[in-house]
Amino acid sequence: MRRRILVSVTTLALPMTALGQEGFPLDGTWRGHWGTSPIDRTTVVLVMKWDGTDINGMINPGPDSATFTTAVLEPGDWTVHIEAEDRDDAGNPVTVVIVGQLEDLGSYNRTIEGTWRRGDVEGDFRIARE
Amino acid sequence: MNRISQLVPERSIAESIACLLAFVVCATGCSAPSDETQQTTLPIPRFDDGRVNLDRVAGEKGYWGPASVNSLVETGVDVEMDERGLLADIGDAGRVAPFQPWAKALYEYRQNNELQDDPIRFCISPAGPRHLHRPGGFRIIQDRHYERVYLVFGGGNRNWRVIYMDGRLPPNPEEVVGTYYGHSSGRWEGDVLVVESSGFNARFWFSNGGLPHTEALRLTERFSRPDIHTLKYELTIDDPLTYTRPWNAEWTVDWVEDGEIEERFCEDNR
Repeated sequence: MRRRILVSVTTLALPMTALGQEGFPLDGTWRGHWGTSPIDRTTVVLVMKWDGTDINGMINPGPDSATFTTAVLEPGDWTVHIEAEDRDDAGNPVTVVIVGQLEDLGSYNRTIEGTWRRGDVEGDFRIARE
Repeated sequence: MNRISQLVPERSIAESIACLLAFVVCATGCSAPSDETQQTTLPIPRFDDGRVNLDRVAGEKGYWGPASVNSLVETGVDVEMDERGLLADIGDAGRVAPFQPWAKALYEYRQNNELQDDPIRFCISPAGPRHLHRPGGFRIIQDRHYERVYLVFGGGNRNWRVIYMDGRLPPNPEEVVGTYYGHSSGRWEGDVLVVESSGFNARFWFSNGGLPHTEALRLTERFSRPDIHTLKYELTIDDPLTYTRPWNAEWTVDWVEDGEIEERFCEDNR
């Protein structure tokens, strides 16, 4: 019985780890959510691309996207700091500041978790690489 | 009359003495060339038009086997690592290649977790120069009719790679979708096969030990055969998104006589 359970767990785990880390750790499309409480969540998508000098990207690609003004990956501890210029419902500029920790670095579906501040509203976020 | 003079009756005594001395010297110090000497002094195989043959000649067996090093290290740098490319001293990481800071950190991460994230563990093919470090051996087959060179690998999943020798240009980097083997164009510079490759994806490790790369990776490989039993492999790595400058590595590969590349399938060895 013990052997059967072990085999089952291993089989389930394989698809989760079947692809390893690739390229620059932030490159790609990341999807998740942010919000001020566990029930107040907003879906977000981040697209990031390293050009050898800068991390370029945007939040929620499309007509209302917010382009990065600053993005830094600190390789010493794999922390991420992103700032982007967005607009509020009235069309006024509002700054988004994202500070997070890159987790599961070796996984294709690695994650970033941390704090997300939009103007004077602060919450938490979690995004995973697609 | 001694035996020597019986054998050379018409020579002078001086000539006979010289012959005797030569006989004694050879009997004590000379020997026929060793097999090894004979092998390395054999001419490099060539086709009728003089082009170097980087593979076996008709009627023979053999393949390219063990490499002289276990992984990619910048030329001139001496670091100790095992057959998987794991450094004996993680403090040497920064000497292996001219990393950008993130790439050095990622290389150290991969080294520190003992290569647990190596895509090859999940049967994702190695590619680029790493194929030359994997068990199983390989052959370099020059298809002169179709102007292509094929690298046929025993390791991985008996993969093969094509190098176009017909002068075609690589695809536009802005349009290409990266692949594991990328696009390779080759040309001859004298007896050296020069291959330029680009258009890679970043889903594989291009070296044992986990050196990072991005889709901007460009490789220039130089294959030559300094003697019949040695393949010389020289490589320039250019990935400005990962390394601070282009850098070089080189090693040799031994010819395995009378053998065939082995049938190795990753799924059988997981």
